[in-house]
Amino acid sequence: MVKAKEYTCIGCPIGCPLQLVHKGSKITEISGNECDRGAKYAKQEFTDPRRELSTTMEIVGARWRRLPVKVTGPVEKGRVLEAARRIHTVHVTAPVKIGQVLIKDFLGQKGIDVVACRTMEAIV
Amino acid sequence: MLDRMEGKYDVVVVGGGPAGMGAALGARNSGAERILMLDREEEAGGILWQCIHSGFGLHYFREELTGPEYAQRFLEKVIDHDVDLATSSYVSGISVDSDGTKNVRVMNERQGLVTINTKAVVLSMGCRERTRGSIRIPGTRPSGILTAGLAQKLVNLKGYLPGRRVAILGSGDIGLIMARRLVLEGCEVVGVFEIMPYSNGLSRNVVQCLDDFGIPLHLSTTVAYIHGRDRVEKITVAPVDQDLKPVMSKARDIKCDTLLLSIGLIPENELSLSLGILMDVVTGGPRISSTLETSMPGVFASGNVLHVHDLVDFVTRESLLAGQFAGEWAQGVRRPDDNIRLLPGDNVRYCIPHTLSPEREHTIYMRCKEAMKPCRIRVGNLMEKKLRFVAPAEMIIFKIKPDLLDRFHDDSLRIDILPAKKGKRHGQS
Repeated sequence: MVKAKEYTCIGCPIGCPLQLVHKGSKITEISGNECDRGAKYAKQEFTDPRRELSTTMEIVGARWRRLPVKVTGPVEKGRVLEAARRIHTVHVTAPVKIGQVLIKDFLGQKGIDVVACRTMEAIV
Repeated sequence: MLDRMEGKYDVVVVGGGPAGMGAALGARNSGAERILMLDREEEAGGILWQCIHSGFGLHYFREELTGPEYAQRFLEKVIDHDVDLATSSYVSGISVDSDGTKNVRVMNERQGLVTINTKAVVLSMGCRERTRGSIRIPGTRPSGILTAGLAQKLVNLKGYLPGRRVAILGSGDIGLIMARRLVLEGCEVVGVFEIMPYSNGLSRNVVQCLDDFGIPLHLSTTVAYIHGRDRVEKITVAPVDQDLKPVMSKARDIKCDTLLLSIGLIPENELSLSLGILMDVVTGGPRISSTLETSMPGVFASGNVLHVHDLVDFVTRESLLAGQFAGEWAQGVRRPDDNIRLLPGDNVRYCIPHTLSPEREHTIYMRCKEAMKPCRIRVGNLMEKKLRFVAPAEMIIFKIKPDLLDRFHDDSLRIDILPAKKGKRHGQS
């Protein structure tokens, strides 16, 4: 049976309204996109939706109590909340350097880490 | 050099956020020697430290960075370029001597109250958030009502949650981003309420921050009353009529302990006003020439103090230029006054700068009043440019080349945004 799904593209500020027509798991048509990114996004959204994730982690001995961190690759959309909760169970001690790996192979994904987004010096 | 502030300066930059950092680097690029950047916070970098989401730097660094990454990269550049930097330092006033020397009054813990002499000043104080008082929400005055940016600071830097059950008034991008942040941190977000019939934030933020987490966005709806004695207990929300007045017969109560406000930003111009410089009532910032100079010679302005930008990258670009011109001014470069006034016309809310000179290329920043698509920008009778769409939340940026202005002999240039011409397909010239 032919079915249609609707998305709003998140590729750029225009936010094209996208329509994806599919037969089971086979995509037959994508429309509404003003550029290739829209088609790519609709396809990704249909087959394996993912999101970038940045959040904060507890840090001890620094000027601030939270350290901004990010996951270096997109996380499955359905696991974003779980991923954030997982990061929140960890804490680090200052000093931390920007780019420093805090959790390696995050959620069992090889090569995808949680890294620090800034340097925080130790404060005595 | 960190925490150094002594002697006379060529350029003093007031504010160490993205605008100040850009201006300090721009001044350095101009060849000016002694540059000082002042910031009232403990560390320079401004609001970027608390904007932990990504989306910064695509234009300037050509990669997508989080706010803290953008701040750190930029701050390291500023320090590497031997700019003096004084943090925890509050500028309480600026005055100008008859010979043009500027006296910047600075207060900090280390030196007390000092006056710094400088040839040029760049105002880069940024903007602040509108609060409950600016829209006068009726009700009691309990705790639990705060701006979205303050909540962002509490959550992302200080590690406090502002509440458990949160409602958000206003759908600006900070509000949308905070809705997601609070859900990720374990709060319940009961809804985002927007008085206008459209979202004020980018649609991609509506998708990623609200839809993904099942947070409802109620358009044409506002908060009509706040209840609670010590703490917010509930809010009354109501749909609005055509005059944006709440329709109380359709009002309903929503239980929550916190109300976040994301209802707009105001350029922070107390210092500019104390200098007596000319202001633009629409932008809320100073009127500026094509060299980003205010009506006070040698005083320049850039970033959100001038007009509220969408992207930090644009702030950086504008500020590098402001710093460059301020640095040149300090070295004695004087340009002829601009002789073309730029006038906002049909569907144009404002355009920056306010005046142009025919000798250089200019980048024009402007905002429309209403969304339109497709459309064209008409610059006097000099040029026309087609656009796929314009929307009030999206800054419009384009360039005017000097050869165009060379042929222009009038003293004012009007910019209009008009519907696309019929019969011509998009993309043709």
